[in-house]
Parts: sequence; structure tokens; C-alpha cells
Amino acid sequence: MTDVASGGSPRPEDVPVVDFDLRSQNGLAESNAAWAELRKLGPVAWSDDNGGAWIVSGYDAVTEGFRNWRALQSGRAVRTIPGPGGSPDLNPLNAVPTRTTGLLIPEELDPPLWKPYRQVFNELLSPKKVEQALYPRVRHWVTKCLDDVIESGECDIVDTLTSGVPAAVILEWLGFPEKDWHRLSAAFHNMASYIPGTPLADHYMSELDWAFDRIEEEVAAVRENPRDDVTSYLANVEVNGERTSYEFAKGMLNLAVSGGVDTTTSVASSAFVHLSRHPEVRQRLIDEPELIDSAIEEFLRVYPPARTHGRTVVEDTELAGFKLRKDDRVILSEVSACHDEAAFPDADKFIIDRFPNRHLAFGMGNHRCPGSHVARAMFKEMLTQVLERIPDFKVIEEELEEYPNCAALGGWSKAPITFTPGKRRL
Amino acid sequence: MQFADQLKRKGSPMKIIVNAELCQGHARCLAEGPDVYVLDEVGYNSTSIDNVPPHLHEQARRGALACPEQAITIVED
Repeated sequence: MTDVASGGSPRPEDVPVVDFDLRSQNGLAESNAAWAELRKLGPVAWSDDNGGAWIVSGYDAVTEGFRNWRALQSGRAVRTIPGPGGSPDLNPLNAVPTRTTGLLIPEELDPPLWKPYRQVFNELLSPKKVEQALYPRVRHWVTKCLDDVIESGECDIVDTLTSGVPAAVILEWLGFPEKDWHRLSAAFHNMASYIPGTPLADHYMSELDWAFDRIEEEVAAVRENPRDDVTSYLANVEVNGERTSYEFAKGMLNLAVSGGVDTTTSVASSAFVHLSRHPEVRQRLIDEPELIDSAIEEFLRVYPPARTHGRTVVEDTELAGFKLRKDDRVILSEVSACHDEAAFPDADKFIIDRFPNRHLAFGMGNHRCPGSHVARAMFKEMLTQVLERIPDFKVIEEELEEYPNCAALGGWSKAPITFTPGKRRL
Repeated sequence: MQFADQLKRKGSPMKIIVNAELCQGHARCLAEGPDVYVLDEVGYNSTSIDNVPPHLHEQARRGALACPEQAITIVED
């Protein structure tokens, strides 16, 4: 863990200074435009907001930042000035400090301790494991979630499918009882999207408290009486010759739940809205199904769910030629990197067969999303079945609801659709 | 005999070099080059080929280009 006992960092010299409050951006279009404006000033800028931070928007600089794990660490840091939400904690998810969230393991670890914990997740979610153990359940849940609405000709594709499927797949895999799934996934789905201080946000914060408490309850229960499921495995796993600590057991479960239930939802929802708005893209996918894999990569590039991550500088270092100082805070923007014209020709266009497509939707460097393989599997199955079973779906534009705050995670809260009713499969 | 002729026509063999320190297990190499690239038990690149057969050269190149970490080098003269 890192301790940063500072009130804030002094403004560095020779760097563009900007007024760039991530939380003030309303919706994806505004946020993406703000990042585009920032890139015009160069790959790196500084903002005095929230105690000061480097804001990194260029593709090469962002990737350099993610790869420099030695100097730009993920360990939780504490500032002596409170953040806007009252919490000083700085962790990789708090590009802007808002509230204290439960410890996330191994996201908040750095080498060397990061390595064995990362290996635990690598083993559980490897491409082979996903293909053999998880994919049949992905197929089952996509089929069932569509079955539940297919005869009615209408649904909210977010609640029904893009949120419902990841919740079912991940929480079933972990071993949580089905009665908890909807409330748990809603807690994380709503957490990322509301600006702290508003009444709706306060309600969702208390739901989030419930979610972390519920996870802790399961961890405590299985450490006492292990079951034959992934939660029990994670909560009792041996690392470096010892059973993992209670805090780290919670941290791994927190990551397993929160890392999975809203991120895939975000990109899948964005993809369905995109297909509704661009029928020529939808038709191309129907006519040339072999394009689905590259379409998935392009949806990930254009609509990356996790938009920014924070890091704390633990030793003086350089980034894109700028001198970063110990105790500085850094915001690395995956979304800006994904839209950087310097890395992606015609970056503002959705190009279904774009190649190469070295986007940062799953991050870069040692913290690359360990769930990337199951995420792609879920996204692909959802896209495939929708295009097979309800190919004429249409979003009801007037009823679309966006996340109001997409500093960290962007997406749609609601996306009601209509379609020609179809047949159940199960 | 035919293979040796092909070698003479195309020059030196194609070699794949993977920088294991840069590989982070994105598995994009396998997605583009399923007949070329090999991943280990947890999905990290464990490919080591000194001589990619000519009919797989395109897969090898695409797999290397697809790597977000740019961990793969294709050597061909």
C-alpha cells in the first residue's frame, strides 16, 4: 500500500494547465468531446482540481503510463485533503476521489505481491477455463434472458440482457444465491453512474453498502464452512504458503463481483444502441457474420466501459518527456487513448473491420483485465443471439437513459427496445 | 524437396520472437493466428517458432500486429 501524506501536489512547470473536472461532463458525447479537446494540447496536461493531477490523454503516453508500474503504482493512497464526496482515498478506480470503496485485490496491488494474486485470477478466468467451463453457462443465460421477453416484443435490453447476463454468469459462477443477483448487479450498475450528493446517488450509495456487506457475509461464511464453489476457493486460497487474509479474501471477491457485473453491460448496451442507430452496420453483421469478432473489437474501442484509471507516483519518473514527481497523482485515460487519431486513423469512425485495433478497453500492462476472455464470450453470445432471434429490434430513442456521470464508467442506464416477437428456445 | 525449394525462393525462414515481459495475456495473437500461436495454461504467449510454414505467414503477421502490448516480433528477411 502507498501512503501519500500530502495535501495536494504543486503545479508543475512547462505543461498545459487545464480546468478538467471529469465529474462535470454530462454523458458520453460531452465527455468524448472534452477528451478530444484535451488531446489538441498534447498527450499530457495538468489539472489543479482535487489536489492536482496529471491528465494523460494520448495513446502512447497512456500506454507508457500503464506499463511503468514501478513508478506509477496502483496501491491505495491517502491524501489529507478530502475529495468531493468526503473521502480522501485514492485508488485506481478513483480517478477523482469520491467515496471509500472496498479494497480490490489484485487491482490495488503492485509487484511483487501482485503476482501470486494475479495468478489466482489468471487461472480462474483463462481462455481455456472460459471455453470449457464458462461458455456453456454464457450460452444458457443469454438464451434464457432472451426467452423471458421474446414473446412480448418489447423489453429494456439493459435490464433484460446486457445487465442480466453478466450478473447471472458471474454470480452463478461465484456461487451467490439467485435471489441476490438482481440487487447486487443493480447496486454496481447504479453506483458508477450518479453524481455524489444527489438524492438518487445517496440511495444508490446505500445499496452499494448493502452489496459490499453481502459480499463480506459470504466471505465470512465460506471461510468458516467452505462450499464447493469459486467464492469458497477465492476466500480460502493459499498464497505464498498461507491462507489468504480476511481483508484480501474480501478484496478478491469485491473485484470478482464489481469487475464483472457492469463493465460488459456497458459496452454491450452501447453496441445495441449503435446497431439500432446504424442499420447499415447491423445489416452488414447479419450478411457477413464472420465480421463479428472484429466488430466486437471496434465496439470495445469506440465504447470502452472503463474510461479512466488513477495511479500514484511513488518515485520521480518521466512520462512522454514530462517529469512526474513522487506523490503526484496521475489520471490515465483509456477512452482518450482509444479515440486518439495518432493511433487510429479515422478514430471517430466505427470501422467494422478495422485492423490492427490495439485498443485499451481491457487496459494495458500488468493489470490488463483478467475477465477479458469471459467478457468477450458474453458480448459475442449476446450479439449473436440478438441478431439471430430479434434482428429487427429498434431502440425507443425517447426512452433512452444515459449514465449522467461517465468519469469512470460510461453507458446506458436504460435502453427500451421493440421487436417482432420470436420463439423461446428453452 | 518441395519445401526446400520454397525456402530457397522465399529467403530466410520466418521467426517469431515473443517478449515474455511485455506479454499480458490479451490473447489477440491467438485470435488472429489460431494455427500459429500457442498460449500457456493461463493464456499467456508461449510460442517459440523458428520457421513458420509459408501458408501461415499471414496469420503470424496478423497475430503480431494485433498484440496491444507489441510483444511479438516477426523476423523475416
